[in-house]
Amino acid sequence: MKRKNIIVFLLLTATIMLNAQIIHHGFVRTYIGALTDQDGEYSVLQNTFDWKLDYGKDDVALYVNPVFDYNALNNNLDISLRQAYMDIYFDNFDLRIGKQQIIWGKADGVFITDVISPRNLSEFILPEFEEIRIGTNAVKFDYYMGNSTIEAVWMPTFQATITPDENSIWSPKMMEFPMPVNFDYSKASVEQKLSESEIALKYSYLGSAIDFELMAAYMWDDNPAMHIFLQPDSTLLIKPEFHRLPLVGASFGKSFLGAVIREEAAYYFNKRFATEDLTFNGVKDKDYLHYLVGYDHNWFGVNVSLQFIQEYILDYENDIRNEEFSNTATLLSSKTFLNETLELSLLAYYGINNEDLLLRPKSSYDLSDGFNLILGSDIFLGEEGNFGQYNNNDMVYVKVRYDF
Amino acid sequence: MKKIIIILLALLVAGIVLSAQEITGLQIVENVYNRPTGNDQTADLTMSLVNSRGDERVRIISQFLKDFGDLEKKIMFFVSPADVYNTSFMNWSYDEVGKDDDQWIYLPAMKRVKRISSDSKSDYFMGSDFTYDDLGDRHPSADVHKLLREEEIDGEMCYVVESNPKEEEYIYSKTITWIMKDNWIGKKKEFYDEDDELLKTLTVKESVTFDEVIIITLSQMHNVQSDHKTIMKLENVEIDTGVADNKFTERMMKRGM
Repeated sequence: MKRKNIIVFLLLTATIMLNAQIIHHGFVRTYIGALTDQDGEYSVLQNTFDWKLDYGKDDVALYVNPVFDYNALNNNLDISLRQAYMDIYFDNFDLRIGKQQIIWGKADGVFITDVISPRNLSEFILPEFEEIRIGTNAVKFDYYMGNSTIEAVWMPTFQATITPDENSIWSPKMMEFPMPVNFDYSKASVEQKLSESEIALKYSYLGSAIDFELMAAYMWDDNPAMHIFLQPDSTLLIKPEFHRLPLVGASFGKSFLGAVIREEAAYYFNKRFATEDLTFNGVKDKDYLHYLVGYDHNWFGVNVSLQFIQEYILDYENDIRNEEFSNTATLLSSKTFLNETLELSLLAYYGINNEDLLLRPKSSYDLSDGFNLILGSDIFLGEEGNFGQYNNNDMVYVKVRYDF
Repeated sequence: MKKIIIILLALLVAGIVLSAQEITGLQIVENVYNRPTGNDQTADLTMSLVNSRGDERVRIISQFLKDFGDLEKKIMFFVSPADVYNTSFMNWSYDEVGKDDDQWIYLPAMKRVKRISSDSKSDYFMGSDFTYDDLGDRHPSADVHKLLREEEIDGEMCYVVESNPKEEEYIYSKTITWIMKDNWIGKKKEFYDEDDELLKTLTVKESVTFDEVIIITLSQMHNVQSDHKTIMKLENVEIDTGVADNKFTERMMKRGM
């Protein structure tokens, strides 16, 4: 709490000192969600103040984005800095230093080469994507050559994916074991030192014929591998451990007959997968391919975006718990009415392997400029899989948001 | 000598006949299309959207245009309303007939420049009464043009030209444009829907002149069917200031103004 007070104090002081030149914007939002399968029990009662402060002078700019989240379900105020960085502009290159969100790739709502900023999955993938991505401490260097950009990123510290609490309704289904298990978390973190930092490099081009990106990264896998050891007393000891994850990737977007075709692929080297084979301590290294093809088009005023995503474990062995091929399809369609004051949209994720589904219909109405009311629902169908496992978590929600 | 006189007389008569011939609808529209627009332009654009009850919403945009010969690049930075602050939109349009525009959008929340479908030209721009197509320069060869008559509006003599689209799926069944004879500026334009009913009327109210370049600074689009209006005002207009080529890049879309 003391730390939070210091942050607020520093922000207010900085604001007063620089107030003349600072641009304030952001939003205030009330978000109420109720579970329809559980007599309307509240799943979300949240009030958010998302404050963005911009300051620029000559070739330097500062950006700070504190977020104040009050959760009425547990009476908890959470203050965080989503981003806080400085930009330094030169003729042909820029530097961005500080906590920042870095987004790569051409996919919508799917993370393939977009692996630089870790994710907060404590509420599954339901929050806005801006809120799912965690700012990462980084130094980002962009060098520009006409329509091409070379981007290099150095992340001195590692931030893992934030997973749901054990008691959360979004806690994923755990692996089942035939005997009692104990956990050893001694290796469940990465040391904060130079040799453990992450680096990533990207070349991108934006032009008339095509936009494309080529990338390579030497990262940590954001999720730990669960190493399993059989103990003399016939129990299992599980040691979560993070591992290095080198990857290369590419993506492109291209106009085609009035539509846009997108493709994105990443090849991961020696990614750890859970296996039932305890002689390998429950983990095997395999190369892994994750790719997507997408198609965006406007039919009669309805924007439609389709994506097919496949994950493929190379040199597959049958004792690996994931399937050799995992296939997912997504659909996003939206249409606006009343001079764009009303928007109806549907986002759907379909897990092809398990025939499970997440449907997210939403209606958004602008009461006035910047004052927005959203009514929506998240519907999970199926028995298992990424979406079916939450089939008791169907939700209706309302969001009232004022942007300033 | 007699022969020469006859030839000269014949040429004179031919000249008189040719000069008396009326200009065609296509020639008028080509003159409008080829009117000098400067090599680059910067301006602040304010769009006031007024519904039938008189409620007003305002959009403010800062925009930059540059002519690269057979390619025109345009970048727009959204200033207001607050929920679109720092969004940017870039359009590259080509003189080549049939070549689609390239369009990208940068949403600050997504932190990514995204190529968007250019097949949505019939979509309305930011909730206004202007479609993306209304805001662009439609190539004269896309329509069949017919000069209907000449008439005076607000003291200005105008050609009245009817344009019928060659493509079947076009948003309008036809347009009728009043083009001022002395400067090739459209004074008024009517847009007809697929049932050939009047849908919208565009009225040009003010313009400014920079040497040979005339820029429309105040216009109104009125959707007569929904009684919704958009008043478009250009301010701080500057022409040929030497806008840098790199203004129209991914870097600038992300960086903003």
